[in-house]
Amino acid sequence: MANTVIGSSIVIDGEISGDEDLVIQGTVKGKISLKESLYVENSGVVEADIDTQNVEIAGRVTGNILASDKVELKTDCRVVGDIKAPRILIADGASFKGNVDMDTKER
Amino acid sequence: MASDNTVIGESILISGKLTGDEDLTVRGRVEGEVSLTKTLIVEASGVVRANVEVKNAIVSGVVVGNITATESVELTKDGRMVGDIRSPRVIIVDGASFRGRVDMGDLEPNRERSERPAARPLMRPTVRTSSAPPRPPVAAVAAKAPAAKPVPPPQPSRVESRVDARPPSPPKPAAAARPAPPPPPAPPAMAEAGKKKVLVKKKR
Amino acid sequence: MAQLGQINIIGKGIVIRGSLSGGGDLVIEGRVEGQIALKNHLTIEATGKVEADIRVEELTINGEASGNIDASSKVAINSSAKVSGDVKATRVVIEDGAVFNGSIEMDVKLPDDL
Repeated sequence: MANTVIGSSIVIDGEISGDEDLVIQGTVKGKISLKESLYVENSGVVEADIDTQNVEIAGRVTGNILASDKVELKTDCRVVGDIKAPRILIADGASFKGNVDMDTKER
Repeated sequence: MASDNTVIGESILISGKLTGDEDLTVRGRVEGEVSLTKTLIVEASGVVRANVEVKNAIVSGVVVGNITATESVELTKDGRMVGDIRSPRVIIVDGASFRGRVDMGDLEPNRERSERPAARPLMRPTVRTSSAPPRPPVAAVAAKAPAAKPVPPPQPSRVESRVDARPPSPPKPAAAARPAPPPPPAPPAMAEAGKKKVLVKKKR
Repeated sequence: MAQLGQINIIGKGIVIRGSLSGGGDLVIEGRVEGQIALKNHLTIEATGKVEADIRVEELTINGEASGNIDASSKVAINSSAKVSGDVKATRVVIEDGAVFNGSIEMDVKLPDDL
């Protein structure tokens, strides 16, 4: 289970890195690089480039997403940016603007 | 070695220098300088306005001055202190109030060292005699690079920073003979507080 | 105002560089470098390492902290803590075993003649 939770009233401006799951309910601006999974929940607002293994987005993300495994855009999410990952799921109701690249040979 | 305990009663005022090899309990007032090889206990009614050098200090009353303890300093819930503490163990209990620096050594020694080379209270001996006379012109240089201009051998940096840190104030003899009222070149506010304390003492 | 009962955790494996602000209690088990400004209670756990200026209501330190601390109520430096920096708070507690270097500023009520 995810250990790190950035709650809805927290704002982080800078760089987050790490090797464990991260749940964002608050606001993060800057850059996120993780070796595990990132969950951007409903209330979460991320303005950052993301480099991780998995991402699940139910909130808002502005920035480019690079995932080594999977990106999942859930219903009600709003994502603006380019996504590059071998597996990309976009749910009905998700809103997304940007490029999708599932060609992962370079990665 | 005395096992009993000296008590300075509530109505007693001691002004001057107090030294000893046994525990001392202060319920009255002590001003000047205290140096003990044992424990100083300042009880709730006690007031110590002095620079203190002890093994242990337990403060439940008021201390204004610097405490250097070889073992520990404890401020209990009624303790009030203004001054600097240098001791490997410092305990501040909830309710105590304190303003000043705490130096327990140990952590980031480089930073401590470079910030205030003259702070260590351990040396004092012949510093003044050897350094004071020939130094004056160098003082300005020394101020910019305290450690860069070594005098003879062992404690050059200290000598110099002492000289340039307080040439204008009168307290030459005492400053050299005393347990180094703390950081001269340290944070400005602190340094000033330290100097002020010294001057006050001088007048008594 | 912060929601009561909300706890934010920065886990062991997480490193944050930058500024962190907001309400709600926060527990840091990982690393934070930069600045922290919180309305409520910050706890730096034994595994936590913070190099930041911290402004908070209440601060409990079990791990390592360096930087200046400004707390509107209390700072507790527990026995496993290593702290360096200047601390300003209404109440400051240092437990036996804690390592602290820096200055402390509390309001000290001295007798009138001192």
